[in-house]
Amino acid sequence: MRAETLARLLVLGLAAAAVGFPLAARQRPPLLHARLAEQGGWAPDVLRAEAGQPLTVRLTSDDVLHGFGVGRTDFEAVLVEPGKVTEVTLTFDQPGIYTYYCTVWCGLNHWRMRGVIEVRGSDVQAGAPTPPLYAQLGIDIDAPHPAETTPAERPNALAAPVVALEFSFDQYAAASPAQLWSSLGNQPGLENLTDAQRWDLVAALWARQTSPAALAEGETIFRQDCAACHGPQGAGDGLYADDLASAGQAAMQGLAGAPDMLMQSPPDWQDPAILLGASPALLQGKLLRGGMGTGMPMWGAIYTDEQLWHVVAYLYTLQMDYP
Amino acid sequence: MTLALASVALAVILIPAPAAAAPLERFFRVGAGQYAFTPASLRANPGDTITIELHSTDVTHGLYVDGYDVSAEAQPGQPAALTFIASRAGVFRLRCSVTCGTLHPFMLGRLVVGPNWTLARAAALAGLAVLAAPLTLRKAAE
Repeated sequence: MRAETLARLLVLGLAAAAVGFPLAARQRPPLLHARLAEQGGWAPDVLRAEAGQPLTVRLTSDDVLHGFGVGRTDFEAVLVEPGKVTEVTLTFDQPGIYTYYCTVWCGLNHWRMRGVIEVRGSDVQAGAPTPPLYAQLGIDIDAPHPAETTPAERPNALAAPVVALEFSFDQYAAASPAQLWSSLGNQPGLENLTDAQRWDLVAALWARQTSPAALAEGETIFRQDCAACHGPQGAGDGLYADDLASAGQAAMQGLAGAPDMLMQSPPDWQDPAILLGASPALLQGKLLRGGMGTGMPMWGAIYTDEQLWHVVAYLYTLQMDYP
Repeated sequence: MTLALASVALAVILIPAPAAAAPLERFFRVGAGQYAFTPASLRANPGDTITIELHSTDVTHGLYVDGYDVSAEAQPGQPAALTFIASRAGVFRLRCSVTCGTLHPFMLGRLVVGPNWTLARAAALAGLAVLAAPLTLRKAAE
């Protein structure tokens, strides 16, 4: 009789353990594995959270050193090391879809390592989101945009003639420096300016839209995330530029199954005809959306609009001098 | 004879190394790619100020100098530099300090600071021992 009671207790205990252990394991914060993009990237690549509720995630790497950052938030990126578990806690005030991404150059397809956090909440913002500026202006950001005229010398904002001229942000965003240069020629009161003076005036108007602090932030972002492909001087000769044309194409086929997709090398911004023919809205659109089939990542999910405008302002300093 | 050998051995151990050349500022541009440093061997004299600029040619790499405990980490497009004074003579291992891929543990280089007097002395002593062996054996036979 006693033996039978023991046996019953044993069976009951085992059954409780079989249900209890998995239940207990589910109570622990999810473990997020970081893997090279070629090995599948983040696993899992979707996390769910409630607005205002803390979300705790444990991070580990299955291969090399990775980083974990969350786009468009103040969250400071952490390193994700193989063989270690890092725990982070995130809190989202606003519902929406947030992107987490790798912050360490881990391989050729480093920028394909992304995942999303779906944050649900009660206060759903009404109305459709506003379309980005390039779409509002109807700019085709994939079309070539060569400048019709280029300056003989580097435009310098400090050498510009002093003129009282209204120049709003919308005017700045919509026209390329070359277009503005042409339209300034028809402006009453500016007919006497030489070509070089008009270019200097364009640089001065560009300088009004930014600040030294904003340019410094734009430069930091450029060095960190753009220089590897676009080159430290923006000449399109970065380390990965060659890989994009060769290995990148194969990578695209594997990921998207589109054999006709051609990878492009980055443009040479040391050529004034290319950079001065691009309007700020066009450059911001390219940053925001990324290049379909060019290997250019979509930055809209990572950087805030303000940060993207800072990068745009920095890019023009490759062709114009302004403080 | 034994006395002569012993005094030579003592001399080998005790004679100070010739004075090193005047300290220089040395600059090395080291490329780091999977899974090697180029150049992999750096040479300096004791007392030199060494600056190593690390350029990554593919993914994030680091450079750690054994014995000096200094390191730098470079991302592609963002070179990193480290400067230190080569105060210790000898041969030191350079290692990648960022887990960069499957063969990361084998991404090594070396830093040679000054002629390796310890090794030279050890070799001289070993040579002396070889010389001394037949002499002592003959003595034992007598």
